[in-house]
Amino acid sequence: MSAPHESRGTQWVHNPVGRQRGGGWVDDALGDRGRETDPVGMRFAGARVVPQRVEAVRSADVDAAVNECFYRRGWTDGLPIVPPTVGRVREMVRFSPESASTVIGELEPMHGEASVEKLAVNAVMAGCRPEYFPVVLAAVRGILDPRFNLRGVQTTDENVAPLLIVSGPLAEELGINAGIGALGPGWHANATIGRALRLIMNNVGGAWPGITSLAGIGQPARYTLCLAERTHANPWRSLHVEAGLPAESSAVTLMRAECSINVTGDLDDLASVMASAASAFSILHGGCVAVLIAPATAARLSGMGWSKLNVSRYLFERARLPVDEWRSLWVRTKIAPTYGLPPWVVAAEDGNGPIPIVEHAEDIVVFVAGADVPIPQHVYFPSWGFPPCRVVVPITLPSDWVRLRHAAAGSGD
Amino acid sequence: MLRVSAAVESAGFPTATLICEGFLGQAKATSSGLGVPTLGIAMVPGHPDVQSAVELERNIASVTLERVVACLTTTSNGARHLVEPAPRDVVFEGTFDEVQRFFYENLWSDGLPIVPPTRDRVDAFLSFVDRSPDEVLATVQLDNRAATIWNIAVNGVMAGCRPEYMPILVALVEAMADPAYGVEHSGNTPGAETQIVINGPLIKDLGFNYEQGALRDGFQANTSIGRFWRLYLRNVAGFLPHQNDKGTFGGTWRVVMAENEDTLAEIGWPTVCSGMGLPPGQNGVCIARYTGSHVIVSVYGTSAEECLPYLADAVVKYTGWELMFTVGMATGTYKPMLILSPIVAKTIAASGMTKADVQAYLFEHARIPARQFENYISGWTNLIPGKRSLYDLVMLRKAPQVFGASRDPERLVPLVLRPEDYMIAVSGDPMRTNCYFLAHNGMLGFPTMKPIVLPRDWSTRLRAAYAE
Repeated sequence: MSAPHESRGTQWVHNPVGRQRGGGWVDDALGDRGRETDPVGMRFAGARVVPQRVEAVRSADVDAAVNECFYRRGWTDGLPIVPPTVGRVREMVRFSPESASTVIGELEPMHGEASVEKLAVNAVMAGCRPEYFPVVLAAVRGILDPRFNLRGVQTTDENVAPLLIVSGPLAEELGINAGIGALGPGWHANATIGRALRLIMNNVGGAWPGITSLAGIGQPARYTLCLAERTHANPWRSLHVEAGLPAESSAVTLMRAECSINVTGDLDDLASVMASAASAFSILHGGCVAVLIAPATAARLSGMGWSKLNVSRYLFERARLPVDEWRSLWVRTKIAPTYGLPPWVVAAEDGNGPIPIVEHAEDIVVFVAGADVPIPQHVYFPSWGFPPCRVVVPITLPSDWVRLRHAAAGSGD
Repeated sequence: MLRVSAAVESAGFPTATLICEGFLGQAKATSSGLGVPTLGIAMVPGHPDVQSAVELERNIASVTLERVVACLTTTSNGARHLVEPAPRDVVFEGTFDEVQRFFYENLWSDGLPIVPPTRDRVDAFLSFVDRSPDEVLATVQLDNRAATIWNIAVNGVMAGCRPEYMPILVALVEAMADPAYGVEHSGNTPGAETQIVINGPLIKDLGFNYEQGALRDGFQANTSIGRFWRLYLRNVAGFLPHQNDKGTFGGTWRVVMAENEDTLAEIGWPTVCSGMGLPPGQNGVCIARYTGSHVIVSVYGTSAEECLPYLADAVVKYTGWELMFTVGMATGTYKPMLILSPIVAKTIAASGMTKADVQAYLFEHARIPARQFENYISGWTNLIPGKRSLYDLVMLRKAPQVFGASRDPERLVPLVLRPEDYMIAVSGDPMRTNCYFLAHNGMLGFPTMKPIVLPRDWSTRLRAAYAE
């Protein structure tokens, strides 16, 4: 869509960095600090530019030039990005139910304003198709929920990442994988929606490694951790239905995950892993953990008359840490004396009983995903931080969604 | 921790936040994000987790305590400068179309093409003021950006002004920055728009239209200076729709109105600017924000007595909620403007009436029942809380006696506080008997006049400019 008399090899690209209410850019402060410390080598080499909403990048190989420039300014996750051209951003915004300038909140820790346009810029960079954008918007609303504790997630020296589970018919419509290999790699929607959320957290919220984001080692889930919940071959109620939403609606569930641990076996195997990989931080803070159950196992349990709550209770009773083992843990000996322990942990200690990994059975969130194979392959997602977090956000579509989808599919309107 | 300190600091109390050595950088960046970049931080050496009680006590006493005292006893300015291009930076190089796109995408234009503000063009504008380009006239709210001779010239170029308009642009920005005008309110929801009025010999020297179509586009001086006003509000004051310009509907900028000074001289009436203190024969601009406008068509009559009732009726009809600026919210700041075409002005003057007589007439005759006045300010609206009657407001000394002569809801009250609050201008088609009324936005864009200061050798420079 270039106008006449424009040079060849020019790309008009949006700036992905958050702006604060007062007009400043989160990079202003971060860049100052980055130049002082330069924690990751060349990362801040290009950060001295005067930020503008849109700039023109010119090169014979302009995609590469935008990529190099954005990388050097610290605006990528290290992987190549799709240049957020004015046209691509406009198309992304078209799939938002709200206008480009709508601000849905301020992202911690630097209080960058999450305007629809700014989120769209990062979604383009992540490689999202425009129709994924309503899911990205819902996810951002999720991390803005106080229960998510975004400030903690962004700045802690632990390595927590948002876990994004999409439920409802939209997951299938958009091709968000809930089946074989759902945690990747290989699925465009899973890969790019989760990545968009990360780029938004980094660029709009201002979480820069070593400056405001102190995660000690990081983890692959900080690139993306997004999958769908099984709709078919799910004998139980979906997460969004459990949250009181209609089955025909779609929603994202956001939790905080320290990692994902594959467990092949039955519920006792799961309980054993959950107890030993107890993420002592969920004991320290009181947390909410997620358990992905393989479809075949879910079918078998359901056939025996088990509800999800039965599964949670079973795991809650068995996933426990022997009290002596707990007392010798680093968290217990080095951290707990300063921070104190939740009353339910103190009670368990006093009774010399094994220590539960969460306070209530309901803090173990169960959902069904994975391949239609007989192998019972489950996943345990330990958590970090407080308060217990299980945020469910309905996905809102633009009023002309059907027409937009048809147009995108090339069938015209 | 920092969040608590930021909240306390914002409430006006000094704070000191204890931060371990390894977290100082994060604290600095975070306090900036919290909007208090200079939050008081007292460093704790090392980390207490690995220090004995004795070590910790020694560290606190020798390092931290001193900083705590300093944080609590010194003040600092929390404002942070935005990183923006320096005045002479070339922000973009490209073709004409690319420049248009760049300025539009960065929200620096109003959607129409701008004239690229090249250094040459800016220099030409600067040659029409005897002031340093770097001179800061004021800081302009909302963005608290410096208004400089340089950025006036840049926006003047962009708006399509001619270099010789520069002295007028400078006067306009001086008026904009005058606290009496209240530029900080320019993003309010009524979305009132400024009307610039110009007086003085410059009207003819620079070719302003002051006759037929006085408020119409099509005349470079009137049009481009009107556009400059809006571009300056956008680019320097920082008012952008969908951001901090919350005008519900808004309106396009108004072209500059030049008065017909020949008619005014003929009938012996003062100009708008001379009514506000400008010495006769001098050049000046007056700015004020108006919430709406209406044309009063076919004023019929051969005398003031026959013409004025229609005009008084128009003043009543086109004034509504704005009465909260007369009594209530900002008492005495409602200053509507009535523009008379020369032929109407002459007819009225021929009856022996001065401008002050017209103002007095409107004050006496443009009146409405007290209950209707109260409907506008607090009955149909919630502009004045408390639902107090005009009578009560007079008793509370919040309104003058004329609004509370009795408790009778049908008693007639005036629309302004004083006769001179009616501003009268003369412009438009000299031979058509139409008039024009502008309802006013009170203290949120109060009439403000500034003289226009011409550079040395103005006539020589102007001749040179027009000779090219």
